[in-house]
Amino acid sequence: MGNLTHVTINFDTSHLIFPTLIGCILGLLGLAIAIRDRRAIAASGAHWRDILGRMDKPRFFGTLALTIAYFSAMVPVGDIWPNTGMGFLLCSIPLVAGSGLLFMRERSLRKAVPLMIVAVAAPVLVWWLFTDLFFLTLP
Amino acid sequence: MDILAFISPLFVLLVIGGTLVGIIFGAIPGMTATMAVAVCLPVTYSLGLENGLALLLGLYVGGISGGLVPAILLGIPGTPSSITTTLDGYPMARAGHGEKALRIGICASLVGGLVSLLILDLFAPTLADFAIKFSYVEKFLIILFALSVMAALSSDLLLGIFSGFLGIFISLIGTYDVTKGGNGEWRLIPPGTSYWLESGFSLLPVLIGLFGLAAILDEAETGMKAGMSQKDVDIGKHERFSLSIFRGQWVNLIRSSCIGTFVGILPGVGGSAASILSYSNAKTFSRHPERFGKGEPAGVMASEAGNNGLTGGALVPLLSLGIPGDSTTALLIGAFTLQGIQVGPLFIGNNPVTWDAMIFAMLIANLAMFVLMYFAIRYFAMVVTIPKHILFPVILMMCVIGAYTINYGIMFDVWTLLIFGVFGWLMTKIRLEVAPFIIGFILGPSAEVYFVKTLESFGDLTVFFTKSWIAVLLWVLIALSVGGSAYLQTRKGKSAP
Repeated sequence: MGNLTHVTINFDTSHLIFPTLIGCILGLLGLAIAIRDRRAIAASGAHWRDILGRMDKPRFFGTLALTIAYFSAMVPVGDIWPNTGMGFLLCSIPLVAGSGLLFMRERSLRKAVPLMIVAVAAPVLVWWLFTDLFFLTLP
Repeated sequence: MDILAFISPLFVLLVIGGTLVGIIFGAIPGMTATMAVAVCLPVTYSLGLENGLALLLGLYVGGISGGLVPAILLGIPGTPSSITTTLDGYPMARAGHGEKALRIGICASLVGGLVSLLILDLFAPTLADFAIKFSYVEKFLIILFALSVMAALSSDLLLGIFSGFLGIFISLIGTYDVTKGGNGEWRLIPPGTSYWLESGFSLLPVLIGLFGLAAILDEAETGMKAGMSQKDVDIGKHERFSLSIFRGQWVNLIRSSCIGTFVGILPGVGGSAASILSYSNAKTFSRHPERFGKGEPAGVMASEAGNNGLTGGALVPLLSLGIPGDSTTALLIGAFTLQGIQVGPLFIGNNPVTWDAMIFAMLIANLAMFVLMYFAIRYFAMVVTIPKHILFPVILMMCVIGAYTINYGIMFDVWTLLIFGVFGWLMTKIRLEVAPFIIGFILGPSAEVYFVKTLESFGDLTVFFTKSWIAVLLWVLIALSVGGSAYLQTRKGKSAP
């Protein structure tokens, strides 16, 4: 019994002990879930079709696309005016305006005007706050 | 308490401002106190620790309290912790007593907040003093216990445990930290990503992704349902409010506050459990249980005292053991990390000024919440009409700021935000639990150090069972939480049609 519970740790490979243990536990738990929920897993195609069927696809995928475009553009735009935070400012304005229009239901000029004001004012305020007041680097 | 060591006009202003913003977040359905703290965390970078905590604690108290506004006026809980407030608050509002119901909720919230603060002040230092004596074995078992409690309270025990271990696994990506006694070797880093993942995923982008971006994606998926217009919000006619309504309800208020605080002390249980337990107890002990659910003021009192009782309770395990009591206090760990301070048993003893500042900030936050909401409730009622198409884009932008500035300008942290935002959205679709995942992610590296160092020192697995009576007690508690939950879920499964 004593030998079974005895453990010798080799310092050079000690970084692998815990990840291996957690990986094994995860594998066992995953197996248990797979066995228990095998019917639900087999029918998961219908589950995802249902989610996709009820999903507001333009808004969901539009949000993802805008977010990826926003993240991707920030650094290249910022590199044009280095260390000024312009990448953040110039990309945030179209992001707020674009995603606001995307999220808006029953679009109208009356609703769009306050959004456009916020789309300009909020990024400018945040940009000023972080660059001039807090001296934090923005892209 | 040497108040002059930290108090300043800025400190008070930050608490009040934080409370105000928190109430606004809490009052908007779909936004939570956690989101408020996540979004405003970057603002604390340039503030000192005490001032930063002042802002965040104000947000926390305000965020939890603000949830009662839509719960009462619209029948939609602004935050999960206001879920039972709808049961009696909304019928009261429909009967034309909206303002009265709101004021009852606000007063009960104040009582809940103050009782929990008192318990925090008395209990946390004692628990910390006790925990100082813990060795790595007990510390490891406490983490295991925290995970088991959270998993036990998940809707599915197995998936809850899986989520917790998944959080630990992902937290291990990167270098085995030399400063914590590791060997500096890499592990679990996918090929080609070592440049970004050498230090693993940063905590804050992960949290902001899971609580900020995931919530936005969730709203986008359901089509950003139209906001409320002013005509949807009926606060009712102005009524003279008298404290006599609390006559005979003090036991209910104190009991609910204590239940909320106790639930808060249990790691990861959350505000909804606090309010549900308080509400069901109030109903059980009431002379008129039949009135509950039909506009009974005692129901609003119990629910709001319970969920605000959570605020002080959730800070107890954080400040005495280093284990967050709920997802919002998990974010507070981020604030401490930013300032280079580690929370745990030594925190209160080593940082008496910060500890006093936190207590004082909580006190001001509760008082500010009461004054702001009580006297300006008609204005806060209008907050629920702020359109989501304006709020969510600004929040998305703030999420990016938070993620980018955490490590002083690393773009990978922004991508981390996206990765975990999508992952958080996916988790809800495959029924994985976010709370155990987060706690696993936060505590995973510590669990590793405690586990490996114990084995290095003792060389025997039995030490985890035989080190001390506390270790044995913790194993009993772990077995009880997991076994009890498994039993209840099996019974529920059998009784289901």
